[in-house]
Amino acid sequence: MKKMLQESELARDSRFVRSKIEDRIFDPRGPKIAQRNTGPAKMATDRPAAAERSRSLMHGIFVGEVQALEGAGRTCFDFDDTEAPFQLKLDMARQCWDEARHCEISLKLGDHMGTEIGEYTESTFLFAAACNPDPVLRLCGVNRALEGLAIDVFSTMKEFGNESGDPVLEFCEDWMLADEVTHVKMGSDWLRRLTEKDPERRERALEFQRTVDSIFNLGGFRGEDEENPIQLARRFRELAGFTDEENDSLAALARQSMEEARQMAEAASVALDAQSA
Amino acid sequence: MAHPERVEVPAPDYLTERSSNRENAYVTDSSKPRAPFAPWDRRELPGLFSVEETARRVGNYKWAEMRLFEVLGGWVATVPELDVKMVLGRHTYHHAWHSELWHKRLPELREMNPDRLTKPANDAFVTFMDAVREPEAPEHTIEKLVGVYRVLIPRFIAAYTFHKNATSTITDAPTIRSLNFALQDEFEDWRDGEMLIQSLLDTPEKVERASRRQQELEVLCLASGGIAGPGSLGEPVQEVAVA
Repeated sequence: MKKMLQESELARDSRFVRSKIEDRIFDPRGPKIAQRNTGPAKMATDRPAAAERSRSLMHGIFVGEVQALEGAGRTCFDFDDTEAPFQLKLDMARQCWDEARHCEISLKLGDHMGTEIGEYTESTFLFAAACNPDPVLRLCGVNRALEGLAIDVFSTMKEFGNESGDPVLEFCEDWMLADEVTHVKMGSDWLRRLTEKDPERRERALEFQRTVDSIFNLGGFRGEDEENPIQLARRFRELAGFTDEENDSLAALARQSMEEARQMAEAASVALDAQSA
Repeated sequence: MAHPERVEVPAPDYLTERSSNRENAYVTDSSKPRAPFAPWDRRELPGLFSVEETARRVGNYKWAEMRLFEVLGGWVATVPELDVKMVLGRHTYHHAWHSELWHKRLPELREMNPDRLTKPANDAFVTFMDAVREPEAPEHTIEKLVGVYRVLIPRFIAAYTFHKNATSTITDAPTIRSLNFALQDEFEDWRDGEMLIQSLLDTPEKVERASRRQQELEVLCLASGGIAGPGSLGEPVQEVAVA
């Protein structure tokens, strides 16, 4: 078996439907939807579309867990003993088990909430972060950026479960949240250990993490405002070892992403109006 | 030791006179000699393996478990079957944990540089493991699973069981403890894998594919002598001759 698998090579059964992130961003229906005033985007139980949105998010969590499992597995395989220390691979193997469990939990929760595999599309940009040929950069992309996003998502879903009176959802999200905090800690720990004598490599890794974080903000998907469906979970991020400075910087990045997305939507809307005139 | 003040409660009628005697109930005769090994403890000192031989075998186990957990992790992304994907994810950790158990055991066997003994039994075993790890395409799930669950894991079960039964139950107790943990996983993982294979073999052609794959790998494994090389399961011919 070859090393380094591309995201296009991920194996799926016929139920899965893959979509590109750029197709979603440049969906021509987007600007029209953006013109509608649908109130704050934050996940809230009093929103008419709350149930539908939570199901969609649960499906997104499920495919994200599948990709996280695949990413951790590839890190066990892609690097030889000189590129990735034995203990790092053991941590990744442990993460495989955790992510496999998260897939199982997400599938059961999907049933519980009324979704089916393939009801929503799958974007594989999460796995793309796990394709970096440098194990340190890969760990930063996966264990700090991706798993950091998972902390925010699970914290938001846990809160949603609590507010909507769904103890099953709240219970499961809390368990998964505990694992994600551990995974982020692993990533931070290995970043420190592997770049102890190589500050330049550390900076490259952190830059890669910022890039991945910026992608994961998805033009306002995550942030700290009412407009962000996924809220930045500062308390759990601190538990995972992110500093206040890192959290502030991520919040600023999220605001910037949202502003850029707003400007893009505005421009697209103008273009659409001009086209229809 | 003096007992604290007790409230005297009459003994129930169903107790014998001896059991009802409260003075005896709190006293053991500290001077009475007891055998150092209880009658049910049948462990014995002799074992087939020296410290060096044990370290060599443990190093072979660690190498094989490492190669196994790496490939299981690598395969997760290449199998389309969701149930297989999740089982492989779980088993990846089991075998990583076994390799960690052996990694920690090596320094206790006077091997202060565990990497030195972390090696395959011989070149033929490397060839065998390379063949086990070779399938990649998404349509080769049967070949992947047969290699691991019908050929390799039964070899682990056999080698671990022989080691457990042959080593000194007193001097090598730490290895036996790890073998027991690993064996429990191996048996359960083998069952998981075998059931997945059976569920995938739904046509005579697939049965044929699985058999062919198993035969190819069995031949390669035979050439290596097993996970710890020749003698992985002892040497029955020699033992009969000695007897």
